[in-house]
Amino acid sequence: MKYALFLGCKIPAALPAYEMSTRAVLGRLGVTLVDLPFNCCGNPVRSVDREAFVVAAARNLALAGRAGLDVLTPCKCCFGSLRHAQRFLDEDPALRQRVQAFLAREGLSLPTTVVVEHLLPVLARGVGLDAITAAVTAPRTGLRVAAHYGCHALRPSDVTRFDHPLAPTLFEDLVRATGATAVEWPRRLDCCGDPIHDANAPLADRLTQAKVDDARESGAEVLATACPYCHLRFTESQAGGARAPLATMLYPQLLGLAMGLAPRTLGLP
Amino acid sequence: MTQTQTEPKVWDVAVVGAGMAGMATALFAAEQGLSVLQIGNGGGLLFASGLLDLLAVHPIASRRLWGSPFDALAAIRRDQPDHPLARVDDATMRAAYESFTSALGAAGLAYAPLDDRNHLVLTSLGTAKPTYGVPRTMAAGVAAMAERVPCLLLDFRGLREFSARQIVATVGDTWPGLRSARIEFPGAEASSELYAAHLARALESHETRDKTIALVKPLLGDARAVGFPAVLGLGCSGVVHAAFQAALGVPVFEIPTMPTSVPGLRLMDALEHAVVARGVHRLLRGNVTSAAFDDTAVLSLGGVPGGETVSARAVVLATGRFTGRGLVAGQQRITEPVLGLPVQQPASRETWHSRDFLDPAGHEVNRAGLRTDSVFRPFDATGRPAWPGLFAVGSILAGQDWMREKCGAGIALGTARVAVDQIVRQLGAR
Amino acid sequence: MSATFLRMALLVSLGLCALGILWRVSTWFRVRIGPDARTIPLHRRLSAAVGGAFAALFSRRTPGILKAFVLDVLLQRRLFADSKVRWLGHLFILAGFLLLLVMHGLAKLVTLKVFPAYQATLDPFLFLRNLFGAVTVLGVMMVMGARRHRPASSPIVRRPGDRIFTALLALVLVSGFLLEAQKVASPRAFYRMTKEYLDTTDPEETLPLRTVWAAEYGVAFPDLQGTPDPDKLAEGRELHNDACASCHTRPTSAFVSYPISRAMAPVVETLDEADAERWLNYLHVFACFLGLILLPFTRFFHALADPVSLLANGAASTGPLSPAARATRRALATDACVGCSLCDDRCSVAPIARHLGNPALLPSHKLLATRDLALHPHSLDRVDAHARRVAEGAWLCTTCGRCTERCPVGLDLADMWDAGKGDLAHAGHPAPAQWVQERTALEWADSLGASPGALDVLRDAASPLSAHRETYSACVQCQTCTNVCPVVAHGGEEPGAIDLTPQKVMNLLRLGMVDLALGSRMVWNCATCYQCQEHCPEGIRVTDVMLELRGMAYRSLGQSRERRQPE
Repeated sequence: MKYALFLGCKIPAALPAYEMSTRAVLGRLGVTLVDLPFNCCGNPVRSVDREAFVVAAARNLALAGRAGLDVLTPCKCCFGSLRHAQRFLDEDPALRQRVQAFLAREGLSLPTTVVVEHLLPVLARGVGLDAITAAVTAPRTGLRVAAHYGCHALRPSDVTRFDHPLAPTLFEDLVRATGATAVEWPRRLDCCGDPIHDANAPLADRLTQAKVDDARESGAEVLATACPYCHLRFTESQAGGARAPLATMLYPQLLGLAMGLAPRTLGLP
Repeated sequence: MTQTQTEPKVWDVAVVGAGMAGMATALFAAEQGLSVLQIGNGGGLLFASGLLDLLAVHPIASRRLWGSPFDALAAIRRDQPDHPLARVDDATMRAAYESFTSALGAAGLAYAPLDDRNHLVLTSLGTAKPTYGVPRTMAAGVAAMAERVPCLLLDFRGLREFSARQIVATVGDTWPGLRSARIEFPGAEASSELYAAHLARALESHETRDKTIALVKPLLGDARAVGFPAVLGLGCSGVVHAAFQAALGVPVFEIPTMPTSVPGLRLMDALEHAVVARGVHRLLRGNVTSAAFDDTAVLSLGGVPGGETVSARAVVLATGRFTGRGLVAGQQRITEPVLGLPVQQPASRETWHSRDFLDPAGHEVNRAGLRTDSVFRPFDATGRPAWPGLFAVGSILAGQDWMREKCGAGIALGTARVAVDQIVRQLGAR
Repeated sequence: MSATFLRMALLVSLGLCALGILWRVSTWFRVRIGPDARTIPLHRRLSAAVGGAFAALFSRRTPGILKAFVLDVLLQRRLFADSKVRWLGHLFILAGFLLLLVMHGLAKLVTLKVFPAYQATLDPFLFLRNLFGAVTVLGVMMVMGARRHRPASSPIVRRPGDRIFTALLALVLVSGFLLEAQKVASPRAFYRMTKEYLDTTDPEETLPLRTVWAAEYGVAFPDLQGTPDPDKLAEGRELHNDACASCHTRPTSAFVSYPISRAMAPVVETLDEADAERWLNYLHVFACFLGLILLPFTRFFHALADPVSLLANGAASTGPLSPAARATRRALATDACVGCSLCDDRCSVAPIARHLGNPALLPSHKLLATRDLALHPHSLDRVDAHARRVAEGAWLCTTCGRCTERCPVGLDLADMWDAGKGDLAHAGHPAPAQWVQERTALEWADSLGASPGALDVLRDAASPLSAHRETYSACVQCQTCTNVCPVVAHGGEEPGAIDLTPQKVMNLLRLGMVDLALGSRMVWNCATCYQCQEHCPEGIRVTDVMLELRGMAYRSLGQSRERRQPE
């Protein structure tokens, strides 16, 4: 398996551990990652100018297409964003034409076959749960993990096609593959609060708090994430609080530990 | 799962529709070990009340209420042999309800044990609704109302869809021990308008729960039961309900609210979890754009990026009536849009509706639908089953008025069970 | 030219240059970029810088500083990692210009002291001067070549003095070569020398020597073209060896100037008559002086600011900088930026900048805008198209940090953008999610109603969902979207956080009252979690519509905001 790795903006700048652990785990599982000169996925400009959003996303798709690769991103917002752009391009031929013209100016063209995937489905369906279970040498037996799904990967399901939007199982399956226990928690599909943090921090904090409290009340020792925005929201929002924070862990870190990889190579202390 | 099947595969059953009938079909078929693909979104379930009617009214002209749904079934078999329920025997019906409610129970939405009786459930309008299957969180209300025990009904300031005082005003005459009280919802003191689902989610946190209980306790007085609007939890209503009951020391029950309601959300959520747990393959936003029937059925799907086709040995049409768009009312005629099957309907538009909107006999248009054989295989224009593996279940069927007969779930579950049993026989014979 | 006058001019230029540098350096401590810099007094910043420098010099960080000096300042390793062509070009300019300055410009001060036999007209100096000049020109061409072919939408940033300074630099180089060529070819210069050393200017008397100089030294005597007379040549060579050879190498080693002198030969007499040598000399020298004066006010001031910045990086301890130090570093960074635009090429939102036609999104442009706002805090008081474009640069930045990572002079641009964002917000240009809160949804709708045509933008192709009735006509107002909305669920705790529910927003669209929805808190506080869209029993794309409404609001409310301010 070979993918173009789309890290997006947040991971290199604010969460290098996610890149490290993703590379370490996928490398061990036989997935080859290729780096391309990608730009922003377009999400930040989506609220302002739909077409600029699609253009930014489409340029990335074009780069992947030129390299003949599918795209793998560990970021759920980038994932949703790229998939949305594909939908807009599919349903609006006039837009497609304009975007194509824009890309042609730098010698690029819209690909037809590039598949955009998130890290988790690649692990669960591409690599496969059996292969992952087989690679686990140090199972996290007894560790109670709350899996946080992340909105932009899960919904809208007709665009993201990540898993069943109301009754997903993918993340829990992956957690169980590490030997850990996946706890049931009512708010597992809720928003982490990050997208409104800039506009309304107190409101965002209440959303985050509700999730963290729920995970804790449901018996979780670790909150597992697979998106830099969600992950940083949980860690930042809990920092400086009165209670000891609920531990957060990126899924490839959890998996990497279970596979016996050195914590250092996963960006863990 | 929602991802595209990459390998060509022939499903045992393709279920078109995800309302009550579609979900029941998918569950029953998966339970029988068949591979099931289910197409369509379950949004229609949001309008459900969570109560599982079987059959309560017959005939509708006289609005006769039946204490036992099975007695009513016997009557309908006698009076209306073309009624879909007339083709479902008691054992099949019982098996359908047992299987359906146990699947829901496993998905976190428990029902009170089923007996052979219809129960009267107090509604938010103050009326008593007859029904068969009652969610466990509402069960104590049935007994409380039947025995008219001293009872406290609570509501929350800002939850506009539910007024405990209104209910007491309506039924208080015949239920002297009924009182109402209004409390502030903890943490929402600044809100002028509350929404039931948000309260339900909030009550899943024990902190909010404890605060609410603390507000209720001093109001208990002589009450031997406490009624709440249906907001006691969403995904884990059993836990929330049990916690309230334990803390208050008296039976606690929910009163169903007007759709779209929390019980509707619970039902949709639980059914989606149940079908996924049984291995049903879900395509939520797809819709069937065309179909070809040969050895297998080949359905072309729209609403999924790129489009795709799926093959199945049996197809079950569970697309509902008008609101589910299983039937479409045109200028003159009613049509079935997915497969273009002939629709049994009044001779002309003038006879669709009775002149009297409140005509106790109902309206002809509400009995329109597909004609089928005894195992619910819809007829083509020649009056024979259109394809041996094609079935139609639920409210799309002709000859019933489920709203007035209070038999929506009865038709959905019963016909789904009959169809699945037949599919199992046919596939086994192959 | 009088030596006194020249010396005076040099001293004045040097003085002005020094004053300019002082003034620029003072801005490092005076200019306040970022809200946190506002409260820090000048003396705190000065003492932080001086204290920091001393602490670094007398600490274990000295090796770090040395390393920074060698690797970063001298060898430019960051640039090397990024662009080999630019690195080489830059090295050529730096080396060529410095060597010219030292060997040629400061000949009396330096070269003569080291090589007492130094003569400008002797090899290797004659050759080297040409070599250094040529290397400089080559370097300039390489750097400019590497920067060419930029799309119009991401132009190179320029300061006002940059073009003048570049022109002066070109003038110095060109006039230098021309001056040398003129001196080679000029008969007048020949006679000036024979007058001085042989005490004659008689053409006949100097004929043998002239024959040698015409044939071998490129002097363009009009009467001595064609094949030289061998007798005269032999006679002249003897004289030449006695009188001239000790100070003159054949000018063919001036591999740039000599070919030029050959080209100038036909007109050299005319030029002599016009006193060209003197004018070229003036041009050469005064271009140097003028360049010296201008230097602190051009991008070329980076020659001084960069080493300071890089050394400060090398000296910095690993922990976070103090607020005072950070404020100083930001001001220094605006001078240290070369405007090379390497950051622009790697900017994550560069394609968005291109599509929006707004170069203000690009780092090098943003840096200047940040500085300008700090220098002129009232320059963006008006809400207008210019301010909007500058603000977009700030809040559309994804803080990916690629600019910081790639900056060849190691500037902490990420910190700069953070500070600039704060300054813009302070000046009344925050992100739209913030400024939309200036008024209520009703007030916004009023402001739109007062300006006909403001909603025309709603009908354009950018809002395909909201523009079509079919998008939301199926809405049955079942309230599911509101029931599953986490923002409504949690917004109630804060009065006014939720003015409309999603269901009401959809209803306003159904009723054709889009204007009432645009400025609503619901639209702008939407978490885009897609619960509503996923749950809608009618399949309405509620969240997609919310996002479109923001786009519409950004444009239409933004225009209204521009119109409604006091003149």
